[in-house]
Amino acid sequence: MENHKSLYIKNAIWLAILTFLEIEVSYLSISRTGQIVLLMAFAVTKMLLVAWIYMHVRYETKALKWVIFIPIPAGILFTVALMYDIPFRWVV
Amino acid sequence: MNQNINQTIPINDPFGKASNGKLGMWLLIIVDGLSFAGLLIAGASLRASASSWPAAGEILDIPLTAFNTFLLICTSFTMVMALSSIQKGDQGGLKKYLAYTMAGGLLFLGIQAWEYYHFIHNGFLINSSMYASIFYVTTGFHGLHVLSGVIYIGCILWAASKGRYSANDWDHVEILGLFWHFVDLVWILVFTIIYLI
Repeated sequence: MENHKSLYIKNAIWLAILTFLEIEVSYLSISRTGQIVLLMAFAVTKMLLVAWIYMHVRYETKALKWVIFIPIPAGILFTVALMYDIPFRWVV
Repeated sequence: MNQNINQTIPINDPFGKASNGKLGMWLLIIVDGLSFAGLLIAGASLRASASSWPAAGEILDIPLTAFNTFLLICTSFTMVMALSSIQKGDQGGLKKYLAYTMAGGLLFLGIQAWEYYHFIHNGFLINSSMYASIFYVTTGFHGLHVLSGVIYIGCILWAASKGRYSANDWDHVEILGLFWHFVDLVWILVFTIIYLI
């Protein structure tokens, strides 16, 4: 097994830097939408870094990668779609 | 019987060399991820319909929680180092890094308990407001995951102290690592949505 210690350390440093940037963005006086987009972009980047490098998803087969990455966004989209459907629900 | 439990899916399978245990943990992670998504979406929906909402840092202590976030990142590093150590047959490294991870998890829980204590002492209770309910339910649910992870690490550490794992047998450590990294991964989202947005 290869020695990935330096990669793991670099990843931890990047995660810490992104966390620091997130905090700075939360105090920035920019538009609310811009702030939310930036914060979510930082969060998703950090989550992908954890999954890709620490959880070793990059070494998994293509089939397992699909199994991992499809259900959660699909579930979230389905939930949001159902929420938008609530006003049209049938009242018995 | 025990051989069946540890059976590995053949190499030509779509999931490669992933063991049944590892696939089971991925399944748990996906289901658990959807549970967290449900909580966060419900929170966002309630927030969208609320007339007023506290600004980031108005009630919650962002610097303290940022430190806790940094702590969880460090424990993800120590956990991956524990796996890396045993893959090289380093039993001492495995035990050392697992102990560091466990200590980090306990410190995270201690800081969260301290934060809760001060909030409760100042009258910020779970039934104080919709904001408080969302905060306690989401962070509490995550805290229970950290607690489960710490107990799980304790079990694997105990087995490691008996010399259970080696360079050819580290599947349980990898599965534990997946769970612990998931706890870190979810916290990244919880911290952003509950504390910063």
